[in-house]
Amino acid sequence: MTLLPTVDTYACALHGDCADVAPDIFNVDGDVAEVIGTGPDDTILAAARACPSTAISVVDQATGQQVYP
Amino acid sequence: MRRPVVIVGGGLAGQRFAETLRRQGFDGPLQMICAEPVAPYDRPPLSKELLAGVRSATSLRLRDDAWYRDNDVDLRLGARATGIDAHRRAVDLSDGATVRYDRLLIATGAAPRVPAQLHGFDNVLVLRDLAHAVALSERLKPGARLVIVGGGFIGLEVAATALALGAEVTIVEAAAAPLCGPLGQEIGAWFARWHRSRGATVHVGAQIVGVSGGRAITELALSDGTRVAADVVLAAIGVAPATEWFGDAIGAPGVFAAGDVTGGSHWEAAVRDGANAARALLGKPLAPEPPAGFWSDQHGVRFQLVGDPAGAHMTTLDGDLDACDFSITYWRGNQPAAILLAGRPAELPSARRAIEMKRTAA
Repeated sequence: MTLLPTVDTYACALHGDCADVAPDIFNVDGDVAEVIGTGPDDTILAAARACPSTAISVVDQATGQQVYP
Repeated sequence: MRRPVVIVGGGLAGQRFAETLRRQGFDGPLQMICAEPVAPYDRPPLSKELLAGVRSATSLRLRDDAWYRDNDVDLRLGARATGIDAHRRAVDLSDGATVRYDRLLIATGAAPRVPAQLHGFDNVLVLRDLAHAVALSERLKPGARLVIVGGGFIGLEVAATALALGAEVTIVEAAAAPLCGPLGQEIGAWFARWHRSRGATVHVGAQIVGVSGGRAITELALSDGTRVAADVVLAAIGVAPATEWFGDAIGAPGVFAAGDVTGGSHWEAAVRDGANAARALLGKPLAPEPPAGFWSDQHGVRFQLVGDPAGAHMTTLDGDLDACDFSITYWRGNQPAAILLAGRPAELPSARRAIEMKRTAA
């Protein structure tokens, strides 16, 4: 588990797809999606890819590289 | 019995309105009235994956049947709103029924406009809903001559999809370049060159001055003297909000509106609008507006715009236009007003930061 997701609070339009894919990692009950936990790398990536607004960036903490989008 | 909150319109704004109401704890009756015979679905793929036949109609659904059941949303399909009595809080439907509402969301979207010269012909199509996309895809056989009137995003996306399907594509744009309005003439001219290089014929600054044919148009005459043979014609000159059924009811007690019917245009605006209308109904603070922007897929390249190029006085280029791998910054004064990315999705977060910093500093 080296991936770290970040929600761009301006881009998030509260579609809620991230929380559908990864309810333990994202919560969409507030004004924007929030990262509330962590989980397997492929779940984080799947949730980020599911975002219709491309509001979730994912960085590999080991290398510091942005791996998505 | 308690009257429901009624959503008229089965698009994204109405769907996100329903989702936000439930997520925010609204537990009253909720009814959604959709003119189309299908449950709410995602429209952007209509001009791309659905038209190309790589995605099915059911895969486009925003939510499955279980969602409507679990969230107690009464989905009424195939009924179009025809009139409203805001005093009685009643909406008349095309199937003869009248529904009473406690609160009403008007989210009937927009309808494609068709140039007057193209009215009344069997082979003039538009693309806005699923039925349109199915009708168009049935006609896009290899070798079919498709004339697209209007070089906006829908026109260019359909052009790219149709070329890949083996159709012969001609784009007729009245302005000096495609996408002149949103992106400016310089970038628009690049889009014209690029689509030509991919096999389309592109006429710019061209009006339709005549059409010939019987029930179907067989040929269009353009103002530059060209005559273009056609098997199918797509009118893609833009949309008009679907306002005719409700007159001046927006502003009446208990009536809200969201999405394209309000004159907004892009997908994200409809989402934010639908969620915010729900917040307004519940008396909650509205979520902030995101920066303007859109995306478009053409010939396998993703274009993403952040910000608004209107009023920009110059552009700077980073990258390679010929390779469709570039970023263009629109400058207003010494500030970036907008950034257009082509084939560079990884730069979207940093582009948003650049535009957002400028916005919050202003």
